[in-house]
Amino acid sequence: MKKIDLIYTRLRTEERMILDALRKRECDVELHQDSDLVLPLDAERWSGGNVVLMRSMSLTRSRYLAAILEVKGARVVNSSRAITTCGDKILTNLALAAHGVAMPWSFAGFEEEACVAEIERRGYPVVTKPAVGSWGRMVARIEGRSAAEGLMQMRFETGSAQDHVGLVQQYIDKPGYDLRVYVMGRTVGGIRRRSEHWVTNTARGAVPERYEVPESHAKLAERAAAAVGADIAAVDLLETREGEILVNEVNHCVEFARSIESTRLPLPELIAEYIAGVHP
Amino acid sequence: MQVQKQLEKQVDAAGINGCPTCAFEIVGDSYMEGEVVTCEGCSAELEVVGLKPLRFAEAPEVEEDWGE
Repeated sequence: MKKIDLIYTRLRTEERMILDALRKRECDVELHQDSDLVLPLDAERWSGGNVVLMRSMSLTRSRYLAAILEVKGARVVNSSRAITTCGDKILTNLALAAHGVAMPWSFAGFEEEACVAEIERRGYPVVTKPAVGSWGRMVARIEGRSAAEGLMQMRFETGSAQDHVGLVQQYIDKPGYDLRVYVMGRTVGGIRRRSEHWVTNTARGAVPERYEVPESHAKLAERAAAAVGADIAAVDLLETREGEILVNEVNHCVEFARSIESTRLPLPELIAEYIAGVHP
Repeated sequence: MQVQKQLEKQVDAAGINGCPTCAFEIVGDSYMEGEVVTCEGCSAELEVVGLKPLRFAEAPEVEEDWGE
């Protein structure tokens, strides 16, 4: 029997479905709530199994836990490197750039006036988002100088030192939707997320629908997942009005509860199959 | 520490077999600790904080670093 450790913050629909799918594959799954874990920082072997499925919702907890367990000999999916990279949009963009993956242009700056000057030089509209953030929170479109000054001032005068970085990205005029491709070593499917709003997160009300992933999109998504070192990833793609496909973000802890019913993609089964396959 | 945590959880959970927000009765025997369920009575997100008896608490608020 294959022993799998599943680490979670909250046993949501996603985790429950993955758990059921793993057990159907006769995996012996041990559940660990991240809040209960206290791990010594040494190289002593992890007392659990060899394979750990990291489903902690917290970026902080998941990257530390993955790093600790890797030193203790576990194969963690996704790895601490993938979590660290995907959890930070600046590091994600750098990893994609290093591997020549097409994406919107973006820049990082560390001072309000310098960021505003660079936005002015590049022209409007642009998008700004926190380097670390999720579910489309605090993502803003900047239409002109006043908004740029206000948003950059907020970015640099609130939060702590680690929040004081301006991440600015090219605004892509999407055709009413974006695309999400699920990669588990290889592409296993995708969804189109349709919304009247320019932010197309399902957490922000976008409606998911199925789309058949063309070969070119699949290859791009697989390259993006490989660039950040992710085994399992949801790669968000943007399509320009001219039909060019760009990678926007790569997500390491794939959420699917809002899309599984309408798209009929068996994501829990696919994740379980992948994890069982990772087992030595 | 563990004992203290369990005590806190007991104090937090207002309802036994029921939603702490609207008292809607929730039944079932396949729940797991830490599981998040939606109350059919008021649509509140609830977390299972105890199994015998089945107890629920309002699910914690979103933290800054949560989510994909």
